[in-house]
Amino acid sequence: MNALYQFLAKYYHWLLFVALEGISITLLFQFNYYQNSIWLTTANSAVGRAIDWQQQALRYIHLGDVNKALMQRNILLQQNNRILAEEIAQLTHDSTLSERRQKAQLEGIRLIPARVTTNSVMHRDNLMTINVGSLDGVEPEMGVISGTGVVGIVYMTSSHYSIVLPLLNSRSNISCRLRGTDYPGSLKWDGSNPLYATLDNIPRHARFKIGDIVETSGYSVVFPPGLFMGKIDKVENSDDGLSYKLRVHLSIDFARLQDVCVVAQDFQAEVRELEQRADSLLER
Amino acid sequence: MFPQFLRRLFWLVLLVVAQMVIFNYIHLFGYATPLVYVYFLLLFPLGTSRWSILLWGFVCGFLCDVVSLSLGMGAASMTLVAFVQPLLLKIMVQKDAPEDLQPGLRTMGFWSYTNYTAILTALFCLCYFLLQAFTFNHAKDLAIACGSSWLLTFVLCMVFEGLRDHKTSELT
Repeated sequence: MNALYQFLAKYYHWLLFVALEGISITLLFQFNYYQNSIWLTTANSAVGRAIDWQQQALRYIHLGDVNKALMQRNILLQQNNRILAEEIAQLTHDSTLSERRQKAQLEGIRLIPARVTTNSVMHRDNLMTINVGSLDGVEPEMGVISGTGVVGIVYMTSSHYSIVLPLLNSRSNISCRLRGTDYPGSLKWDGSNPLYATLDNIPRHARFKIGDIVETSGYSVVFPPGLFMGKIDKVENSDDGLSYKLRVHLSIDFARLQDVCVVAQDFQAEVRELEQRADSLLER
Repeated sequence: MFPQFLRRLFWLVLLVVAQMVIFNYIHLFGYATPLVYVYFLLLFPLGTSRWSILLWGFVCGFLCDVVSLSLGMGAASMTLVAFVQPLLLKIMVQKDAPEDLQPGLRTMGFWSYTNYTAILTALFCLCYFLLQAFTFNHAKDLAIACGSSWLLTFVLCMVFEGLRDHKTSELT
């Protein structure tokens, strides 16, 4: 305490000087608008900058927590992105022109979604197995389609699985026509290239060109008319020379086929029974 | 003691009134304004207590501020000069000078007193005009106003000192 008194006694003029200057400066800012405004502006700017530095320092200190939160957010967004990408892929797939045409054509028809469990394209008589059966409402001779075209016809069923006779089978024969005309023909696979099939019996007076679309004719209860089959790739004369034989580039890549639908028409059984009765009457 | 107080009061009133009535209205070339009341602090003899000089300087500056409507500027500047004056005076006078040496042309010599006056008036003008401008945005104008005012103040202080010295010599 004594040392403090001695210090004050020795340097009192410093304290007095500081006090008087403090009073003077206070008076200056208190009674002079110009200096006061500049002081306030400068002080505000300085305080603002100091707060900014403090905030920057705090942000830097908290970067670890921010990084953790961002990482979690990033993982969450990646998951969302994957889910959305899958949904978009499905929606985009379903919205192709062929798909939309098929949807329009398949109105009033029940579609049973199925997944291909076994498949082959290497043999002459290929077969395909799908994971729906009689318990799902699948019956023999029902049509099977995919998002891009016709796949084949159900050959036999069990409770939970069905065997499909795809287009890539020598016994397969699907009634087709050229889009925009009513000239029918039958589409068969020649057993060589799984991407191409042959459409026979197109009359020589029919007008068409390479690239024209081949679709189902609707002359059976298996497939409704207008289902996309493929495009004309090459035109040849038939063996007897009376008609054209068209090589058709199929719309479906059977080797990569995974998701299909079974076409169940309400009156298919009734029509088939009627046809059988008519056949039996004719046989008599 | 009491006559000394009255003498200081006389100089204080004289300089403040002179500043208020005459010198506040002088603006040579729009820049130079004499601030002659700083002469009051040049009169304090060696050995005067520091607190006394500080208080007298502050009061003088404050009064001039009141009459000049520039509160704070003169008080702060005069307080600064009052703080520096004893130190400068001790440096300017010879070591064997008497403890109660009255600063003046006769006691200090022309050059010492001229330097003493020039430094203190320059310090005062610099502080005053810096506080008045409060920014360096117009540094050129500030320098001209400060320099010209300092020159005018310095000349007037030397004139005052010459007159005072002349009167003192007549009395003695």
